[in-house]
Amino acid sequence: MFPRLLWKLLRSNRGRLAVALVAVISGATVISALLNVQFDISRKLTQEFQMLGPNLVIAPPGRMQTQNAGAASAPLMDEATVAGQIARTRTPALISAAPYLYIVARVADTPVVVAGTQLGEAEILNPTWKQETGFPRYLPATRARPLDACIVGRNVARQLKLAPGGPLELKYLNRTAAMTVWSILDSGGAEDNQIFADLTVVQTLAGMKGQIQVEQLRVNGTSSAISAYAASLSKSLPGYDVRPVRAVSEAEGNLLNRTRLLILSMILLILVLTALCVLATMAALAMERRADVGLMKALGGTISRIVGLFLAEVGVLGAVGGLIGCVAGLALAQWMGRQVFGTPITPRWEIFPLTIAMMVVVSMAGALPLRTLGKIKPAVILRGE
Amino acid sequence: MAPLVQIENLRKEFANVRALDGVSFVVQAGEWIAIMGPSGSGKTTLINILGGLDTPTSGRAIVDGTDVARLDENGLARFRAEKIGFVFQQFHLVPYLTALENVMLAQYFHSTTDEGEAREALGRVGLTDRVEHLPGQLSGGEQQRVAVARALINHPKLILADEPTGNLDEANEGIVLKLLRELHAEGHTILMVTHAASIGQLADRRIDLAHGRLATEHAARRV
Repeated sequence: MFPRLLWKLLRSNRGRLAVALVAVISGATVISALLNVQFDISRKLTQEFQMLGPNLVIAPPGRMQTQNAGAASAPLMDEATVAGQIARTRTPALISAAPYLYIVARVADTPVVVAGTQLGEAEILNPTWKQETGFPRYLPATRARPLDACIVGRNVARQLKLAPGGPLELKYLNRTAAMTVWSILDSGGAEDNQIFADLTVVQTLAGMKGQIQVEQLRVNGTSSAISAYAASLSKSLPGYDVRPVRAVSEAEGNLLNRTRLLILSMILLILVLTALCVLATMAALAMERRADVGLMKALGGTISRIVGLFLAEVGVLGAVGGLIGCVAGLALAQWMGRQVFGTPITPRWEIFPLTIAMMVVVSMAGALPLRTLGKIKPAVILRGE
Repeated sequence: MAPLVQIENLRKEFANVRALDGVSFVVQAGEWIAIMGPSGSGKTTLINILGGLDTPTSGRAIVDGTDVARLDENGLARFRAEKIGFVFQQFHLVPYLTALENVMLAQYFHSTTDEGEAREALGRVGLTDRVEHLPGQLSGGEQQRVAVARALINHPKLILADEPTGNLDEANEGIVLKLLRELHAEGHTILMVTHAASIGQLADRRIDLAHGRLATEHAARRV
């Protein structure tokens, strides 16, 4: 009889309940979309943060820097030791790691800062780099690039009149290295004044085989996760400075936290608004049902049993509204993802039960006016008052 | 044998109005009592107290050994479900439930529902082919017969009928009174409020109320 009564209750007030259902569906749609964004935002923002460049640096003690020192006389690190420890502590959050050795070499008697590095890794570390190459096809794989290839900063190329595919001779002390200009780099930063070449070539030119000055890394995650990874790497490399690039990692962490706070605040606000809308509908419904409740009481219905019936009705309303809202929210999340991040949001199925549960609870909270039904005196109702 | 209903010095006051003022009488099991009197004499108040829909200001109303005045909210609900069958002047059917469901609603609040039994009860009041109709699709007489079926479905000790034919035409009044006569013949105890002397004469005994007091109490002339 209970399901039968429930069905009749839902059908008998479908006009009024439809208003509450629309409110629940709307609330569930936005909440489901926001939760999908909330769960996916870490991944999405991490992709965006990668544009900011390296966020962790390993350097010899007392020499913390991210860019070139401009001199080979600076303290050095053993390349194999650093690479070995990075490999040992490797985590999926580690996107790339590039060692650097900076020297000031000469090109046609003009002093130029030359950065020896693994070019492929450096390109991953700096995804905002724009390179202009004269080759018919751009070959992104490091292996496809010959050892003598170098990337020339835009300002250096302009000053020395260099173009992609042209020859370039680097001189350092009494040693020379014949290079080919692979591409012209436009970074908008200090890199435009440098030449990037293969690390082994620069090490040979400088006579510093197996030596590097700095290692730059990109690690995904929150500020605290990056600090934790830095601490574990620091233990493996005693005597070296392993530090997050504070400005970058903190900015990432702050942005992530603020975005999450914003989303949670919006979810809370929508929950309250949905509850208020259900509350208004239920207040009207409670007035309309006074006669039914009076009669049910006269027939021997206890208030818990009668209100339980109405609460079940509200629960069904919340569950159905929540379910429909979840599906609509999924579509909204996809749209939001495309508009904000350029790619769709990855759907999280755990959001379905979470949203439905929230909608049921909110609907129940909105059904507070039904409590007044408990005070109804059947004799008064049956008299027609 | 103890009376089924025992009322002792029953008083009920609403604000400054005294609806019942020291009413006392007893009803034996199987009796049909007509409670009569002018408007405002306290007839409905008396029925409401006996049915556990209202509580007295003072005095005792004992039905089948239960002092109604001593019951709490849940106790009153149980009392109404198990011992009382109501028939109201306004029928009071749930408009969105069918005739069958209206009868089953009383079963639901009593214990468990039995659709077969509910159909049987409706068959008994002559509504076999109207069970799936909503109250709005039934005539006044048919609605009142549904109310009678609902009042009987839980085999109550006491049937309380408040002006059961007050809203019916002559033909339907006859049908409902015939049903009440049958119930009485089967041994049901009926307390019926009525204005009409002709209907009151159907009862075993008539209790007249005036200004909340027992005016006269005498055996009715059975018609």
